[in-house]
Amino acid sequence: MIVPMTKVRILGHKTCLDSALAVLQELALVQVEPAQESLSLRTMVLDVDRLGQREEARFLLARLDAMLTILPRPDATQPPALSAGPPTVDMKALRAELDEVMPQIQALAQQRDALVHEQVSLPRYRATLIRLLPLTSDLPEFKDYETIALLLDRRYREVLELLDQTLKELVEQKYTIVSAPLDSDTIGALVVFPRAISAEMHGLLGREQVTQVRLPPDMSGMSLQQAVAHIERRLAGVGTEIAAVDGGLRALAQRWRAAWAAAAAALRARLDQLEVISQLAETDYAFVLIGWTPTAALPRLEATLAERIGSQIVVEPLPMTAAERRAAPVLLENAPVVRPFEFFIRLLALPRYGTLDPASLMAFFMPLFFGMMLGDVAYGLLLLGLSLWAARRFRSNATLHDLARFLTLGSGWAVVFGFIYGEFLGTLGHRIGLHPLWLAREDPQAVFSLLLLTIAVGAAHIVLGLLLGVWQAWRSKSQHQLAEHGGLLIGLVAVFLLIAAVAQQLPRGFITPAVALLLVGLALLARAEWPTSMLMGPIEVLSTIGNILSYLRIAAIGLASVYLARVANDMAGTVGSLWLGLIIAALFHALNLVMGAFSPSIHALRLHYVEFFGKFYEEGGRAFSPFGRPTETA
Amino acid sequence: MDLGFIAIGAALAIGFAALATGYAQAKIGSAGAGAMAEKPELAGRIILLVAIPETMVILGFAVAAMILLILGQRA
Repeated sequence: MIVPMTKVRILGHKTCLDSALAVLQELALVQVEPAQESLSLRTMVLDVDRLGQREEARFLLARLDAMLTILPRPDATQPPALSAGPPTVDMKALRAELDEVMPQIQALAQQRDALVHEQVSLPRYRATLIRLLPLTSDLPEFKDYETIALLLDRRYREVLELLDQTLKELVEQKYTIVSAPLDSDTIGALVVFPRAISAEMHGLLGREQVTQVRLPPDMSGMSLQQAVAHIERRLAGVGTEIAAVDGGLRALAQRWRAAWAAAAAALRARLDQLEVISQLAETDYAFVLIGWTPTAALPRLEATLAERIGSQIVVEPLPMTAAERRAAPVLLENAPVVRPFEFFIRLLALPRYGTLDPASLMAFFMPLFFGMMLGDVAYGLLLLGLSLWAARRFRSNATLHDLARFLTLGSGWAVVFGFIYGEFLGTLGHRIGLHPLWLAREDPQAVFSLLLLTIAVGAAHIVLGLLLGVWQAWRSKSQHQLAEHGGLLIGLVAVFLLIAAVAQQLPRGFITPAVALLLVGLALLARAEWPTSMLMGPIEVLSTIGNILSYLRIAAIGLASVYLARVANDMAGTVGSLWLGLIIAALFHALNLVMGAFSPSIHALRLHYVEFFGKFYEEGGRAFSPFGRPTETA
Repeated sequence: MDLGFIAIGAALAIGFAALATGYAQAKIGSAGAGAMAEKPELAGRIILLVAIPETMVILGFAVAAMILLILGQRA
């Protein structure tokens, strides 16, 4: 059901603006609309004081968010506390607190980043240096000589020859190059040369893009053995240092996190209040807020404002014009069993205010169609168990929870239709003595009846859609829609009569009245959209018959499921081995079950979106979005 | 009439309709996936668009069923 809305005007003295906004935010009952659109008053602008507050709040909020990102969260087992409303915040004191504590937190965070970087990078250095260590045994140790370690791709080993040649030209015999393959792709090399030509050497390596093993600054000047020993010492200590820094951050989080989270929530709430002011109108002494509130919540809104603000504020319900009624926000409210189907409606688009919320109808027909398609006792029971489990497991995920609850209803109907069709894992039902209550789907003689049944269901569903369209047109006093839906309904009934008379299910005397009725229907359609409907009217009637034939998919999907189950059972019986047969049957039935959960859902949804909704549904509603929400404070 | 020809006729009726539906859904589906990546709120509308060509294969199914049920009984 679409919740009835009332347009309200809230008038108040400017001195109580902030407290009024705080109450409205706490109640979260009013969707604020731009007042200047409907009033010939000036738009309210923020005064200097409020502008300053806004800038300060934004600045503090940015800093708080940065600190809350750094500070570790409290134990996940403790749920966050919800306050009744956002608390107030002393911005001056908060700024002083942040100025004092922020540097400590930032210093600890930087220290932690550096330590984590060490923890990640040192093992890489160690691995590389350990691979190069064997090369150092061939190297002499000279004073005033520099040693550099290189990693070369095997494909570019000629760089070593280039190095050799360059060094020979620069220092003749006063250098050494030792190289050895490190793995299948890399060659390691150590080059020892006089420090005097250091600049030329590094320039050459840069030009040739040779990867040089560069040690961190604190290890510069160390030999490879010393560097490896240093890395071992650092790695042994870095974990303890990180733990100590984490301890410091936890202590700060313990002291500040909850208070700052509450302050951030309060600042956000205050910023929302300041933002909404630009939607109000004002006179010299008063502010005017125009908004929408659920009609049932109006007494609570009036009573709370009167109690908290007093006589300085007045709430007035406003009469709605037709255009305003069309633009009213939409809030859906349904019984718990229907609520999961609101998800499918939102997936398409919300209905326009004042029209019909089809969630209740979907809650009946969608699971029914699902059950008609799946129609198997065993599959239904399995899906029922799975969907009940999923509904409990995914209670916090609204989408999955809604889907699971739809599947619960659908699988219930699948069990019912399983008894009607006499199916248990497809054709196995007959073998274990389960007889169809009405219609055996896999029996070729019954296929025609099944097709007729689905067409009858489709006709009933479409006629219901058209009746709803007529009722809606009547309520909204739209002659155009009344003629369109009414004409289509009459034309469709005429076609049914005509078909029944031609098929000799009705006396042939019905043909003439049916043709006359069809002409009446077409005339009404022509009136709806003159002159294009002269052509479009007959096409509309034919298209509606196509819509009804579309319900044949209920039979088609069902038959596909039955025959796949039959293949599973027959194949299992022909392999000769009991266990192999059982495995093959289980695999096929599992596949059929997955398809049986997915395909009927999609097709039941499509029958609603395309065939059913097309007859009456008016989309275009905008969701009710009240000012203010309960605020998480920790 | 030869039962084999009836079966081939039914298979062609649903086969070509299924190919046409698949072709249309491939075109709409790929464009829809792109649109949904940009605007996830269009999911419902895109399901609707992808579902529209299915009418072809259902009508193909209806024709195939009629061929089998009406002509198959006469054969």
